Amino acid sequence: MANAQGPETTGTVAPPLPTPRKTGGIGAATPRVDGRAKVTGAARYGSDFFGGPDPAYAFLATSAIARGRITEIDDSDARALPGVIDILTHRNVGDRVKPGKTFSDKGYMGTSIAPLASDRVWHDGQIVAVVVADSYEAARDAARRLRVSYADETPSASFDSPGTETVSAESKSKEGEKAGQEKPKVGDAPRAFEAAPVKIDQHYETPTQHHNPIELFTTTCAWDGDQLTVWESSQNVYGYQNGLAEQLGLEPSQIRVVSPFIGGAFGSRGSLTQRTALIALASKRIGRPVVLEATRQQGFTIATYRAETRHRIRLGADQSGKLTALIHEGWEVTSRKDEYKVAGTDASTRLYACPNIDSDVSIVHADRNTPGFMRSPPEVPYLFALESAMDELAYAAKIDPVELRRINDTDREPIKGLPYTSRSLMKCFDTAGQAFGWSRRSAQPGSMRDGDWMIGWGCASTMYPTQVGPAAARVTLRPDGAVRVQTAAHDIGTGAYTVIAQTAADRLGVPLDKVHVELGDTALPPAPVAGGSNTTASVCNVVAKACDEIRRKLAAAVTVSGGPLDGADPGRITLINASVMDDQGRMASLKDAVAKTGHGAVEAYAENIPHGAPPTAMQNLYKGQSALAGGAKLKDRIQFAFGAQFVEVRINARTREIRAPRIVGAYAGGTIVNPLTAKSQLMGGQIWGVSSALHEATEIDRRFARYYNDDLAEYLIPVNADITEVQTIFVPEEDHQVNELGIKGLGELGNVGLNAAVANAVFHATGVRIRKLPIRIESVLDAPVPT
Amino acid sequence: MARKGIRFLRRGRVVEVADFAPRTTLLDWLRIDQRATGTKEGCAEGDCGACTVVLGREREGRLVYEPVNACIMLLGQMDGAELITVEDLAQAGALHPVQAALVARHGSQCGFCTPGIVMSLFALYQEGGRPVTRETVCDALAGNLCRCTGYRPIIDAALDVCAEPPADAFESRNEATLAALRRLDDGEDVFVGEGHAFFAAPANEETLAKLLSDHPEATLLAGATDVGLWVTKGLAPLRKFISLGRVKGLEEIHDSPEVLALGAMSTHARAMGPLAGIDPDLGELMRRFGSAQVRASGTVGGNIANGSPIGDLAPALITLGAILELRQGNDRRTLPIENFFLGYRKQDRRRGEFLRSVLIPKPGPNDHIRIFKVTKRFDEDISAVMMAMRLTIKDGRIVTARVAFGGMAAIPKRALAVEKALLESRIQEGTAWAAAGEALGQDFTPLDDHRASAAYRLQVGKNLIVKALAEIAGAPSDATRIIGHREAAHAAE
Repeated sequence: MANAQGPETTGTVAPPLPTPRKTGGIGAATPRVDGRAKVTGAARYGSDFFGGPDPAYAFLATSAIARGRITEIDDSDARALPGVIDILTHRNVGDRVKPGKTFSDKGYMGTSIAPLASDRVWHDGQIVAVVVADSYEAARDAARRLRVSYADETPSASFDSPGTETVSAESKSKEGEKAGQEKPKVGDAPRAFEAAPVKIDQHYETPTQHHNPIELFTTTCAWDGDQLTVWESSQNVYGYQNGLAEQLGLEPSQIRVVSPFIGGAFGSRGSLTQRTALIALASKRIGRPVVLEATRQQGFTIATYRAETRHRIRLGADQSGKLTALIHEGWEVTSRKDEYKVAGTDASTRLYACPNIDSDVSIVHADRNTPGFMRSPPEVPYLFALESAMDELAYAAKIDPVELRRINDTDREPIKGLPYTSRSLMKCFDTAGQAFGWSRRSAQPGSMRDGDWMIGWGCASTMYPTQVGPAAARVTLRPDGAVRVQTAAHDIGTGAYTVIAQTAADRLGVPLDKVHVELGDTALPPAPVAGGSNTTASVCNVVAKACDEIRRKLAAAVTVSGGPLDGADPGRITLINASVMDDQGRMASLKDAVAKTGHGAVEAYAENIPHGAPPTAMQNLYKGQSALAGGAKLKDRIQFAFGAQFVEVRINARTREIRAPRIVGAYAGGTIVNPLTAKSQLMGGQIWGVSSALHEATEIDRRFARYYNDDLAEYLIPVNADITEVQTIFVPEEDHQVNELGIKGLGELGNVGLNAAVANAVFHATGVRIRKLPIRIESVLDAPVPT
Repeated sequence: MARKGIRFLRRGRVVEVADFAPRTTLLDWLRIDQRATGTKEGCAEGDCGACTVVLGREREGRLVYEPVNACIMLLGQMDGAELITVEDLAQAGALHPVQAALVARHGSQCGFCTPGIVMSLFALYQEGGRPVTRETVCDALAGNLCRCTGYRPIIDAALDVCAEPPADAFESRNEATLAALRRLDDGEDVFVGEGHAFFAAPANEETLAKLLSDHPEATLLAGATDVGLWVTKGLAPLRKFISLGRVKGLEEIHDSPEVLALGAMSTHARAMGPLAGIDPDLGELMRRFGSAQVRASGTVGGNIANGSPIGDLAPALITLGAILELRQGNDRRTLPIENFFLGYRKQDRRRGEFLRSVLIPKPGPNDHIRIFKVTKRFDEDISAVMMAMRLTIKDGRIVTARVAFGGMAAIPKRALAVEKALLESRIQEGTAWAAAGEALGQDFTPLDDHRASAAYRLQVGKNLIVKALAEIAGAPSDATRIIGHREAAHAAE
């Protein structure tokens, strides 16, 4: 569905309000159904639950060293403070909480570093105590009064630090379908590279970044006998439930995890952190609900982050720009204990046609907290490297960067020759390029100028795998047309409540406002982790399936002899305008139809196992294992969403301040269930991309392996004034191979390519190639000022 | 006899709170004590704006609604104000126009920053009836971070509704609210707590001076935009607060043709207009100073007395030759602002002394002022380099020169070598510009950190000197400015 829109930012008048194409159903531009709850403060997030009328409050104490052992914890001053109830340390926790297995080890945890299991300190800012008190203030004061002594060792902070350990990522892979995924290879790349007439051989680097959702990391726990309820913002409530059960030695059914609204996630709430079980234990010990609100600073070390990466890219091409060799080597930092990696060679080796490809990924163990998924985990660093190198190749071969991509476009991935289910990359380039005005670009770096401003235009491809997970849903239709949809999916701001409601409204033929959706609760049927951009595809398809089951039940009831649509073909019954209709246009009311079934309401429970997922996928889903299928993991085909991104940067000749006044992206993502929510996702992603390229980096004091800009004043993300024109265009695409509704994921597509697009634009503005993100004001200090 | 509790207006009623710990923030009181969880906590240091609430206060004889960060405002500071939170806007089930516009424009994603954005736009809406542009909306939202990020539709929503004169329930009970606020303004001292731990808000300078003599170790509280962080981030066990917020006279602003006198408790929001009247660059500096929330709470006196090395106001005031007036008990003294800063976070303020006012001499007809703030992020960002320059030019010759920098040393400081190089040179002489810029290397050895490298600071410092001189010599500012034109700003004055 096309939704191309013109520029819409300049001037003082907002563009006209979007007109919904039709009310409520799939494809309608419906404002989000939870908008009202969000603007009135009624939407309740994890930290808005207190677990009961009289909770206690927890405050974390975190380590002041990155590596070593705790030799003593003197809590006498802390305990002397009025209101202090309990202090958890490794002395009284130990193995009462199991560490749990990490996500990449088929577990649920973001890290296997169990903070209060022993005296061992694995990273700076590790939890060393949990203070529980009657009031938040008392807990905070007591935490400050704890005196922790350490036997500290010199930590290894990052790349190049003494004491790090570098290992091949492949050797750490598990058996089965994933083995070797970090090392896609075809042909003889080193030899082809040697022989290539045009070559690029460069190193690239991306920084440490933190998700920094605006909602802090909080946990509220309350026990009712042996039943535990956890209120915590989560992208994976079933994963949390099963992980906590493992950690606390409980049955999953003894635990309920509730997360109706999530204040931003971006991957940070996908895996279970170690804090949750500790708060559950604290609550059990004192027999009261416990509320934890970790500080913004603590959030940098008690959860995950995007680790810094390095890359070496070698590209070889013939004189016409056709790739003959592509070699992508990656290095990623992880913690001392865990083997987390993103291994984006999986995607970067499949973007362009090339007969000779080689790749390798290594991980570097340092004394840091374990990294984890952050929006488009593999694609952001690996495509920054590849798409920067492609721009360098375009200059080396004297070919327009867009044309270079056209020359190397393909409808089959080059490693195994599998067909793309659909691929609209060049349509996206043409659409976005036209909207951007690319044809007016003068190719020479430093050739575009406006007063003191050096202007640069850059572009890059963006891609993200189309993944679908197993999912279950229960849908109930009442005679008055009221619909209730229940599934433990998550709305992390993406609009899941809205698109799920639209799907049900569409399939059951009722107005959108008759549909009530319940999400984010392990009391509901399971849905996959809200990650990998799968939710819309996974959940809308299974909700549609449940709705179809309801339609079948109604059709069977109304077409029986003596029924209101007696004699009609049950297979041709549709639900429309809150009625049941046959192919002759005869109508029966829902009320009569439901009555005819003999039930008070019609309910259907549906499960869906996507193409490529194992038959045990549903059982595993109930165990909190999402097992997303798709992307480059399928045996018979490959499925990705694509886009093209263009950006204008302006660099002040006197101050070298860098601004990005214009961002244009065009995307093909299959069926767009709601252009408004889809656009929000992509637009937000585009802003993320610019933020990542120009602002975001977590700074590390290498002496202490410690983050030092761990707040929102110093970890910069853009403000309103930094973002002027953002254009997001949909390129029509139909792909019913990926799933029945033809939905590709979009949430992680928007931020990938802009990292390179911005760097490419900076090169165009100044002639200075920046291969290390973020691009800082001093990065272009030495650029000559064109006259 | 001092009042033992604080009183403020909420939902049309007077709320009295007498039993609270001195350090309690407004946000913790709302969320934990009142369970009013619509207002969110995102950072507890006034950066993200998720906790934004609006305070109604009498300013210059009329009711003014301003956004503040509840996370770093202490509950005691609420005395005498009207408190409005996100839960209060919808009336009888009908959304406030600002809320309705945000829904229609699809202005929320995860929604966590939304309550703060609603409140910032509510404050903008109440200002209503004046032109609203993209830029004014961005100014109003500089202190509201959206991580998802919906910066575009949020602005569209504001453009839809914030330009009209306000017509909501708050506007219709404006008179009644103002009358209620005046009734709360009883001129009494406030003292909540005991001698060892208290929140005090004296009503006049005499009781303030006495209280400070009795408790010279107490923390003086102006807007709390920094002290609030000592509590929430530094976990400082502060027990005694003396708030200056109710001291009659300290908030006064007197603007005469010769001098602008800013009482120490003038908020940046109130001082902004008079400062912009001195020079449009000073107005532009204030526009990018903190955020609307920080400017509504933070005060001119607090910013100076706090002595931050990167405070943006000090270098500007140094070049303008501002004078500080301090009081200790009954002793008063004055000193040039540049002598006040002694070292990193160290000022010439004696124990028990407080800052009364700042006197800013008005520039003469031959004076030329340029002020530049360089940051990575456009708003709400600490300056990498900040420069202020004032030249007096007679017959094309520079007869006095004052140049000061922020972010280049441990204190805001004059660039004496640059000043010397400029003196007696001709403004139209391009070679003199470069020489003046080069002299900066004698004045500073800037620090190297993640905000900017030392080399960057020095080079851009030099470039800013040249840029200022070029503009003063007549180069059109649309060629030299990042946004806006200085000439246009002059025309608008």
